[in-house]
Amino acid sequence: MSRPSLWSRIAGRKELGVFLALVVMCVFLSFSTSSFLSSINLLNVGRQVSLLGIMAVGMTFVLISGEIDLSVGSTYALSGLGSGMLIVMGWGLVPALMAGLMLGASIGLINGLLSTYGRLPSLIATLGMLSIVRGVALLMTDGQPVTVNTRNGALPQVLEKFEFMGQGYLFGLVPMQLVFFAAVALLGWLVLSGTAFGFRVFAVGGSAKAARVSGIHAESVKIWTFVIMGLLAALAGILSMAFLPSGQAGRTGLGLELDVIAAVVVGGASLSGGVGTVLGTVLGVLIIGVLRNGLVLQGVSPFTQEVMIGLVIIIAVAIDKWSTRSRTT
Amino acid sequence: MFRTITALAGVSFMAFAPMSVIAEPVNVADFALAPRIAEKVASGEPLNIMVSYHDVSNEFAPFVRQGVERADAELNANARFIGPVGADADGQISEIETLMAEIDGLAISAVSTDALSPLIDRVIDAGIPVISYNTDNPDSKRLVFAGQDLVQSGRDAGEQMVNVLDGKGRVMITTIDAAAQWSLDREGGAREVLEASEGIEVVRTLNTGTDPQEIYSAIENAMLADPEITGILSLECCSTPAAGEWVKRNGQSGTIKVVGFDLLDQTVDLVIAKAVQVTIDQAPSRQGFEAVSLLVQFLNGETIDDLDTGVGIFTSENIDSAM
Repeated sequence: MSRPSLWSRIAGRKELGVFLALVVMCVFLSFSTSSFLSSINLLNVGRQVSLLGIMAVGMTFVLISGEIDLSVGSTYALSGLGSGMLIVMGWGLVPALMAGLMLGASIGLINGLLSTYGRLPSLIATLGMLSIVRGVALLMTDGQPVTVNTRNGALPQVLEKFEFMGQGYLFGLVPMQLVFFAAVALLGWLVLSGTAFGFRVFAVGGSAKAARVSGIHAESVKIWTFVIMGLLAALAGILSMAFLPSGQAGRTGLGLELDVIAAVVVGGASLSGGVGTVLGTVLGVLIIGVLRNGLVLQGVSPFTQEVMIGLVIIIAVAIDKWSTRSRTT
Repeated sequence: MFRTITALAGVSFMAFAPMSVIAEPVNVADFALAPRIAEKVASGEPLNIMVSYHDVSNEFAPFVRQGVERADAELNANARFIGPVGADADGQISEIETLMAEIDGLAISAVSTDALSPLIDRVIDAGIPVISYNTDNPDSKRLVFAGQDLVQSGRDAGEQMVNVLDGKGRVMITTIDAAAQWSLDREGGAREVLEASEGIEVVRTLNTGTDPQEIYSAIENAMLADPEITGILSLECCSTPAAGEWVKRNGQSGTIKVVGFDLLDQTVDLVIAKAVQVTIDQAPSRQGFEAVSLLVQFLNGETIDDLDTGVGIFTSENIDSAM
């Protein structure tokens, strides 16, 4: 049997439709604005989508496993603010970061337990957690903004390293947030496509019953996807805090869960589980980032921007579905 | 018609020109006070004053609450700070409806002036005095307003921008919610002054969204799209530090001027670093205190009137007084 040609392998990729949509947007913006293709702008776009991208990789695991997590925006806020507060209290960098990450992982664990052993639909369990976690963040900060600076108590050497995580550049060129995103996406791709755990995530999302019959412990797989999600939401929240370096429980990450889910779905993942790729998610994240960037570069009115973002999400998903159908018929 | 609150030490507080809709001075003798409240006043019992704020989770809220708590401690009142988490008109209405039977006086900063006006009128009709503070409801039956005139504070910000640019430059206006009434009012005032200045061009209004990352990214994109911008005028607390931070990180402190609002920690740091030239304080704590105070005065028979809580203009020269 002959090996399929390169072209037929590319044409058979699930991500082709969303990739084409991204290319069309980039070509259009390259001609319609003078600054879109500049290296500064492209690096800006890379940095601006990084935190969304880190969370979207986590959401890819959750959606493929047939679940959903609406609490990620709140987890992002609580973990980032938590680490920031600890640094302001004089904690060292590593303990403060570990505490923030553990907080995120714990929220993921609770989501996972509620959605499996608690027998609650994940939509409901994580909707409840969205509110609980946001409320805890407000209580913890008393609604006050948290600003990480030496005036508020951060140790200078800790602050310097913390800010480097969010504001620094690797080799003086690549924003650190983008480095984190690339590392998370690579790791996510490896786990999902090259490990037994990744296989189980697809199996559980495709059919939990069939997976159980095959000896897969569906509950523990799902719980792990929520823990990964919580951990990555916390990482993004901490990086956000390191970048700004300020946050407020009432605003930080508010509504972010919808952007994250939109990016993953635009990237080809199915809300009913069993389908999705990290590459598709990265492309979905880029579509949302390029769109936001392009609309501002073009000076589109803020109200029109809202309409455009909604339209592009629908069109990108439609192109993906049509191209998938044409490849399978 | 307007009284002006005294200034903080070292801070210039400006009184407003009268607002477009001004309440007449009012006295409880001309008000159909609910009998249960009249009895309570006569017996000298502490009054239940509710201060409803349109979003208790925003940055401004803790400062308003501090003022309410101070009033609770200093005045003969059980003053309580209430309101929805997130700007939720339905939530604000439901909460007030639920508490109505125990409210002796209501101060309200409404999520939406249109949505809350009928409720304010119902509360007034039930014999409970209502004043507006922070954000006015001029079309309702509210008795008086205590706070800052939003259009005028926009004009003040515009004037500060014209000053720091020496009357010449390209200005971008930023806001976290371009469609909100407070933003439209402030933008209107700012544009009025900026567009009247011959050398100033307002290039755009940037809607940044509310998430801090989103705000910074939007400003970053807009500055790249138009490198000729020489001034950023932020209409609120939250895009002010983002604008200052962008200016500072890009080595443009002093070249690109920033005028904004409020005294968040980060904004204070940026004023000290001269990355933000002017920030305008709205005296939120004072607004909370005066809201309670006006209601207590009214219920105790004093005539009350609109109250201008003024604006504090802070630059690197006087920012120490805000710390």
